[in-house]
Amino acid sequence: MAADIAADFAIEMIGITKRFGPLTANRDVSFAVRKGEIHALVGENGAGKTTLMNVLFGMHLPDSGQIKVNGAQVEITSPQVAIGLGLGMVHQHFKLVPSLTVAENIFLGMEIVRGGLIDSASQVAAVRALSASSGLAVDPTRVVRDLSVGSEQRVEILKVLARGARIVILDEPTAVLTPQEGRDLFRTLRGFTDQGMTVILISHHLDEVLEVSDTVTVLRDGAVIGTEPAKGLTEARLAQMMVGRPVDFGRKRRDGTAGAPVLTLTRIHARDDRGLPALMDVSLTVHAGEIVAIAGVDGNGQTELAEVVAGLRGPSYGRMNLNGRDIAGAPADIVRGAGLAHVPADRLVRGVDVQASIMSNILMGRQDSSAFSKGGMIRWGRVRAEAAALIKRFDIRTQGPDASVKSLSGGNMQKVVLAREFSQGKQFLLIDQPTRGVDIGATEGIHDEIMRRRAEGVAILLISVQLDECMKLADRLLVMFQGCLVAELDPKTVTVNEIGLHMMGASHNRKASA
Amino acid sequence: MEILTQVFTISLIAAILRTTAPILLVALGGAFTTKAGIFNIGLEGQMLMGAFFGVLGSMWTGSALGGLVFGVTASVLMAVIFSVFVVTLRANEVVVGLALNIMAGGLTISLTKAIFGVRGSIVNPAIVGMPRIHVPLIHDIRPLGQILSGYTPLVYTAFALVFLVWVILFRTRLGLYIRVTGEKPEAAQSLGIRTARMQHIASLICGVLAGAAGVHLSLGYIVMFAENMSSGRGFMAVAVLIFSGGDPVKVLLGCLLFGFADAASLRLQTMGVSSYLVLMVPFVVSVSALFLLSWRQRPKIIRETLQHLTAPVVAKGQGS
Ligand SMILES: Nc1ncnc2c1ncn2[C@@H]1O[C@H](COP(=O)(O)OP(=O)(O)OP(=O)(O)O)[C@@H](O)[C@H]1O
Ligand SMILES: [Mg+2]
Repeated sequence: MAADIAADFAIEMIGITKRFGPLTANRDVSFAVRKGEIHALVGENGAGKTTLMNVLFGMHLPDSGQIKVNGAQVEITSPQVAIGLGLGMVHQHFKLVPSLTVAENIFLGMEIVRGGLIDSASQVAAVRALSASSGLAVDPTRVVRDLSVGSEQRVEILKVLARGARIVILDEPTAVLTPQEGRDLFRTLRGFTDQGMTVILISHHLDEVLEVSDTVTVLRDGAVIGTEPAKGLTEARLAQMMVGRPVDFGRKRRDGTAGAPVLTLTRIHARDDRGLPALMDVSLTVHAGEIVAIAGVDGNGQTELAEVVAGLRGPSYGRMNLNGRDIAGAPADIVRGAGLAHVPADRLVRGVDVQASIMSNILMGRQDSSAFSKGGMIRWGRVRAEAAALIKRFDIRTQGPDASVKSLSGGNMQKVVLAREFSQGKQFLLIDQPTRGVDIGATEGIHDEIMRRRAEGVAILLISVQLDECMKLADRLLVMFQGCLVAELDPKTVTVNEIGLHMMGASHNRKASA
Repeated sequence: MEILTQVFTISLIAAILRTTAPILLVALGGAFTTKAGIFNIGLEGQMLMGAFFGVLGSMWTGSALGGLVFGVTASVLMAVIFSVFVVTLRANEVVVGLALNIMAGGLTISLTKAIFGVRGSIVNPAIVGMPRIHVPLIHDIRPLGQILSGYTPLVYTAFALVFLVWVILFRTRLGLYIRVTGEKPEAAQSLGIRTARMQHIASLICGVLAGAAGVHLSLGYIVMFAENMSSGRGFMAVAVLIFSGGDPVKVLLGCLLFGFADAASLRLQTMGVSSYLVLMVPFVVSVSALFLLSWRQRPKIIRETLQHLTAPVVAKGQGS
C-alpha cells in the first residue's frame, strides 16, 4: 500500500534538517505534496518556509534528510538540477533584469540563437504562444522596468513555465498584489493543476490559503505542526496552529477622541519621476490620536503621496504643515525634525541596509542624538542595549543585535524597520504597507503597536493596499484613485464592495461627468 | 583665402579622426568592463604597456604586426592580473586599477633604461611603424580622399568596432550575459549564468582593445616610445565611459569630443600657445562636458500656479 501512495507524490521531503550556524531553520521536516494539488505552506515569519523551499530548489544543501521527486530519490545540488527535474520557483523577491524586455527576461539563460545572433522575433513569438496557453497576459516586447508588480510576477511565472516546470513553487506571490490581481493568479494556478501540474504556495493570507489550496502544511519554529486537507479547516484554527495560541481577527477596540491637527496638506499637487501629474489637489488633515488610512489600488499616487509627506519629493503646488511648521518641499531630515517617523513601503530600498547589523539599522537617523553619541563618538553599548530591548519587544527572530539584517527572514526585516520608527517618540507616523510579508501573529502584534501609538496621541497616516487592514485600524478611510482623493468613508459602516467600487474610480467618473 | 580655410578644416577633420582612434579603441574595450559592472580605472596602464611592448615587438620581429601582437599580449597580461584580483579575489577595483597604472608607469621606465640604457624615450630606426592604407578610387578625389583615406589600419578598425561592439553587446548571447552580469548579478546567477566568468571575459576583451590603442600611439603616427606616452587618454576613456554607460554610440560621440580637444591642442601648439596651457585643453573639455551633462540631467523642479492647475481639470470634466 505504501508503494502506490508514494507513486502519487510529486515531492517527498523526508527528515530534512537545515542549520545556519547555531540556528536550526528546519528541524526534521517531512513534507509531501501529491501530484496535481495546490499545497499551501504556512507559518510565522522565520518559521523556515523559504528555507525549506530553497533546499528543495537546490539553493541550500540540507544537513540531513532525503528528497524524492515523482517517487525517485534525487540529489538536488543546484537550481539547475532542480530545473532539470521539472521544478520551478518564483522567489519572494523577484529576480528580473529591469532594462531587458519581457521576452529577453523569460529566455535569459536559454536564448534562441540563429547565426550567432539572438533571434528576438522567435523569442517574442514563443512568449506570445506561452502567454496564450497559460492565460498569463503580458506584452513580450515591453521593457520590464515599466511593468507593474503584477505583470512582473506574471513574467516570473512564465519564466518558470518556459523552462518546462511541472512543479511550481511560489513564495508569497500575493504579498505585493492587489485583491483583483490575486484572484487572477489563483485562477491561473487552478488552471495549472487542471493540466496535471503541481503547485506549492507560501502565503500569510489565511483566507486565500483556505480558498485556493487542497492541502495545508503548518510550520512552526522550523518543525512541522501538521498537514491537513484545507476543507474543514478554519482561519482561526490555522492561526492557532501557526502561533500556538488563539489570534484575534476583529476590529480593534478604540477609545479616546482625536485631538488637534498634527499634519495638514492643503491642495497638494506633485509630479512623478517622468514629470507627469501624480497627485492632484490632495487635501487632508490627520489629528493627534487618530488613524487616517489611504486605500487604493497600488500605483494611484500612494507612493508619491508618501514621498511628499516624508520630504523625499517636493510638491509642485500646495501647502504642508506638520506640528505648526511649514514643511512643503523641506528635505527629509527637517521633516523628521518636525516630528515625522516613517515606515517606507519597500523595506529593501528605503527601510534597511541589509549588509549592516540590526544594531546599526536601529541606530540610523539617531546617530547624532545625545542618547547614542557623545563628543562625536557613538556609544555602542547603549545602541546594543536599545537594539536588544527592541528585539525583545517586537519579537524579532534573530541571533542577536550583531546579526546582519541580510540573515533575517522577510517579515523579521520589516519588524526591524517598525522597531526603529515606532520607538522614537515622534508625534506623527507615516506608515506605508506595514505588514507586507508579515505573518498573522506578527501582524496582530504590529496592529497592537499601531493602536498603542494612537492611544498615546500620535497622529497616524496609514497607506495600505490591504483593505482588511485599513478597515480594522482606521478612524477615517480615504480612497485614492488616479492621484485624487475620491472618497472619505467611515470604516465602521462601509462594506468591502463599496470601497472596491471607489478604488476602481466609480465615484470619480460620476463626478467628472456631472 | 577660401581654399586655405577649406584645407584647414579638412585637415583638422582628418586630425580629429586620427586622435580619436586611440581613445575610441580603449573606451570600446572599457565598454565591456563597464557593462559587466566593473569600474576599470586600469585602462591607462594597459594602454601604456601596449605602447611600450608594441615598440619592443616591432624592433624584435621587424614588423608592425609583430609589434601589435606583443603590445596586445602585454596589455592582456595586465588585464588578467586585474581581473584575477578584482573578480576572483574580490579586491577593490579602484585600488587594483591604480596600482597597476603606477606599476605600468614604473615598469616601462625601468625597462627603457635596462634595455636601451636611455631615459625618457626610445627613438630607433629599427622600429617599424604601421602602414598607411590608401583606399583605392577614393584616395585621389580631393576633399573625400583626405578625410577617408591614408590612415593606419587601427584607425579604420576603431571606427568599425563601434558597430561591431554594438552588435556583440546587444545582439549576441555573450553581450547579453555581460550586460545582465553588470545590471542584476543575482538574476543571472539564479539562471545558471556564471557572472565571474563573464567579468573575466569582459576584462580580457578590454585588455585586447586597450593594448591595440597603446600600439596605435607608439607605432601609428609617431613611431617612438616616450615615458608616460598615454598621457591621460585612459582616464579620458574612463570619463567617457562614466557618462556613456558603455553604450558604443555614446562612447563614439564622447571620444570624438576628446579627439577634437586633442587635435585642437596640437594645432594651438603650432600656433605658439604655451604647451602647458595646451596640455590642459583635453581635461578642461572633459570636466566641462561632465558638468554640462550632469547639469542637464539634474531633476527638474516643477512649480505650478493656480491657473495651470484649474485649466486641465475643467478640460477633463468636459471631455468625459
Ligand atoms: N542565509 C541565512 N543565514 C543565516 N540565517 C538564515 C539564513 N536564511 C534564513 N535564516 C534564518 O532561518 C530562519 C528561517 O528563515 P526563512 O526565511 O526560511 O523564514 P520564512 O518562514 O520564510 O519567514 P518569512 O515569512 O518571514 O519569509 C530565520 O530565523 C532566518 O533568520
Ligand atoms: Mg520567506
